[in-house]
Amino acid sequence: MSEEKQSVRSEPRYTKRDAEQAIRKEGEQLGNFLPEDAPSYEDILQCMRCGFCLPHCPTYALTNRERSSPRGRAQLAKAVAQGEMELSDKVSFEGFFCLDCRACTTVCPAGVKVGPIMEHVRAQSRNQVHPLPPGWRQFREFLLEYMLPNHDRLENSMLAARLYQRLGVQWMVRNSHLLELTPGTLGETAEKMDGMLPKLEPPLRNRVPELVKARGEKRGTVAYFIGCIMNLMYPEVSRGTINTLAQQGFDVVIPKGAKCCGAPHLTEGDRETARKLGEHNVETFLRWDLDAIVTDCAGCGAALKDYEELLEGRMDERYLHEFRSRIQDVSEFLVGAGMRTEDLKPVEMTITYHDPCHLAHAQGIAKEPRQLIEAIPGLKLVEMFESNWCCGSGANWGLLHPEESEQVLDRKMANVVKTEADAVVTLNPGCHMQLAWGVRRSGLEQEAYHLMELVGRSLPEEAVPPAG
Amino acid sequence: MPSKLSAQAIQDLKRHLGKEQVLHEKEDLYTYGYDATPELSGLPDVVVFPRTAEEVAYVVEFANENGLPLSPRGSGTGLSGGSIPAEGGVVAVMTRMNKILEIDEENLTATVEPGVITLDLADAVAARGLFYPPDPGSQKVSTIGGNVAENAGGLRGLKYGVTRDYVMALEAVLMDGSHLMTGGKAVKDVAGYSFRDLLVGSEGTLGIVTQVTVSLIPPPKAKKTMVAYFKDVATAGQAVSEIVAAKIIPATLEILDNKTINSIEDYVSIGLPREMQGLLLIETDGHPAEVEEEAAEIHEVLERVGADVIRVAQTDQEAEDLTAARRTALSALARVSPTTILEDSTVPRSELASTFNEIARLTKKYNLTVGTFGHAGDGNLHPTALTDERNSEEIKRVHAFFSELYDHVLAVGGTVSGEHGIGMAKVGYLERQIGSGGVKVMRRIKHAFDPEGRLNPGKMFTPELQEEVRA
Repeated sequence: MSEEKQSVRSEPRYTKRDAEQAIRKEGEQLGNFLPEDAPSYEDILQCMRCGFCLPHCPTYALTNRERSSPRGRAQLAKAVAQGEMELSDKVSFEGFFCLDCRACTTVCPAGVKVGPIMEHVRAQSRNQVHPLPPGWRQFREFLLEYMLPNHDRLENSMLAARLYQRLGVQWMVRNSHLLELTPGTLGETAEKMDGMLPKLEPPLRNRVPELVKARGEKRGTVAYFIGCIMNLMYPEVSRGTINTLAQQGFDVVIPKGAKCCGAPHLTEGDRETARKLGEHNVETFLRWDLDAIVTDCAGCGAALKDYEELLEGRMDERYLHEFRSRIQDVSEFLVGAGMRTEDLKPVEMTITYHDPCHLAHAQGIAKEPRQLIEAIPGLKLVEMFESNWCCGSGANWGLLHPEESEQVLDRKMANVVKTEADAVVTLNPGCHMQLAWGVRRSGLEQEAYHLMELVGRSLPEEAVPPAG
Repeated sequence: MPSKLSAQAIQDLKRHLGKEQVLHEKEDLYTYGYDATPELSGLPDVVVFPRTAEEVAYVVEFANENGLPLSPRGSGTGLSGGSIPAEGGVVAVMTRMNKILEIDEENLTATVEPGVITLDLADAVAARGLFYPPDPGSQKVSTIGGNVAENAGGLRGLKYGVTRDYVMALEAVLMDGSHLMTGGKAVKDVAGYSFRDLLVGSEGTLGIVTQVTVSLIPPPKAKKTMVAYFKDVATAGQAVSEIVAAKIIPATLEILDNKTINSIEDYVSIGLPREMQGLLLIETDGHPAEVEEEAAEIHEVLERVGADVIRVAQTDQEAEDLTAARRTALSALARVSPTTILEDSTVPRSELASTFNEIARLTKKYNLTVGTFGHAGDGNLHPTALTDERNSEEIKRVHAFFSELYDHVLAVGGTVSGEHGIGMAKVGYLERQIGSGGVKVMRRIKHAFDPEGRLNPGKMFTPELQEEVRA
């Protein structure tokens, strides 16, 4: 108990600047962008139009149309920034049609971040010309501003969803009376969501204590950032992660107050809600004395690592920096700490690894997951072709563009099949869902897993028992 | 946006080509108005994607009937503005003609449509145990058609030559709508003027290439990689000359200057010695015994000349590591500032040292940041000005810098473009190199192929110059 108290801080350590005025960067309007949340002109100008991104862009591969390429998107943003073009519905569409997979950034000689530039374009178009199907806007706002920021609300709403073995979003769509289902995009979306559903287990968050003690010789204290999707859809994965961290000798803190990382909001262009969530999370986690804040959701990890930029001017930069320096993907953390492998049980399986875009491209982490796989006895890795090509999930992209998403997924599944592996493994819930759906849709024998579920199976004992 | 095209004309195009192959929204027009050339852009009236030679002929007819300029385009990675629609009109994007039609192992040739990506061709022939050597820096993106139009070079130029050296046959559509076939699979061919050689490097001003047959060679069996550092860039230049004088032709002989070395170190910290003024990356390839022998000879030359550090890769991984600096050069420089202006001044190898000195002098004179890297074995340098397009005063100095540098390049018998082409970017320089007589002959050739001056106007010659011939 006493040790527990030591690791808890009572007072928030950060100082807030005046939040009210901070974000609204005063004055200067950037061409035809609105003053609030405009992309950075510096970032846009950095594109030298070399075109090296073209063969790496999934949407350009689909359309062979320059405006749907990273270079095209950066140049459209430049045209708007220079007042040569309006922030038209088509510019806006390209903002939303971008998968935000960041594959272009990985190969860009000049390091241009087209994904984040497009996130700003989304924020700009959010309430103007956003080409959403009817009803989506209300639904989106309901989801983004009401449901996602609150774990309790999400979990409660899931109760009914679980009863029907349905994904909560669809349940909410049907039960919230916020929109009428129409044939076409929404109908397809609903149908697709059914196919994507994992077998739902009760959310993990309320089944675990706020502190899970280290097993064996203690190596440190970490927090586990439990993502919304992981918690709701893949509690078995979260359990695998917590158990692994504990078995590896780390006290694991799962702060009750943690909220959504804000990634879905950034994706949808709702930067303000994302900032509020971000502030809350920094405040919540920095109350603890931690060696690391670990996540097993690549999307969350990428968003959390970007808090410094998101919250610039809104919170004291020292604390933002401290928060940033703690955030690690679970593979990055475990490999960095060095896996204790002596007690692990073999997990006999041949797997192929799909690099999540938000891990490989947004965070530059591709070696560590493979090293982690290598550390687990019994797991055999067979590399697939284009392992870091997007699976077509892209947060809600797959739901907004179902047809295109299937084409991207087909390309991925063809590469998965060629490996003849028993399973396709990844490190992000969005990819996990999409790959599971891909497997089901193509009637394949392979299975889709989050790597941490398999790592969890190799443990000699479990700190957190399964549900039931 | 006012378009020179009627709705009816757009309808006609869509009916003939399919509506997916015709783009005319302003967002599309804007994004087909540029290529990789800094500062330059145009704005087409319509963008089309022909899929067959017949469709190309139709597009030519359409441009003629509507009195529009016509600019062919591949992936838009050119660095001289060759595919920019300088006067608007029709942009014909060739990327949907992207089939590899044949790999002929008996004749060692490959026949492809112009929109095939360079690396895709290289990979496809490699899968059959063959080798297509031209490797321009943008080979993952660039098209064969674009490579042919610009006569693209690359890192292997010294030993293996450039695109022209591999083009055996071409098919093209000319501005009168006729289909031209030139060259063939026969290794020797002296029948009449070589239109093939005329079309290679013609920058899309004479015809639109619709099919390309290239020659292939067996790949080298072994390769040896080494790096040498020099405290003095002139010594590095001397090393290049001496290696060649020793009758060794390395496959790769690349140079990086001090600014480039330091930019790479700032960007990726791979342990390059920051104090060194020059880095040479040397690769020799061929039969294993020959490679070993050449590597030893190169080592000897480097020692004799006075290289300060010499490292020879013993394993594939070490070779990979040694080439990392060269591979990262452009990325590292491009990150230093928003605007990156990369030139391709090329001199006889023996003038490398004097050219590096001149670059240093002019960098100081014009108070600029310039990193230089390039294909030292070819005497082909890429002095790269790191600047900001918003600073118009500095941009002026950049242009003055290059203009004065070209005085030196031409004085020592070099060329204003080793591999990027004249395009729009160097229209002013061409006459300085080949004289008014040379330009006049070129304009007459252009007139013979395209009397209306409709095909890719504004390239190679200024419009006024072309007007003179017509009159």
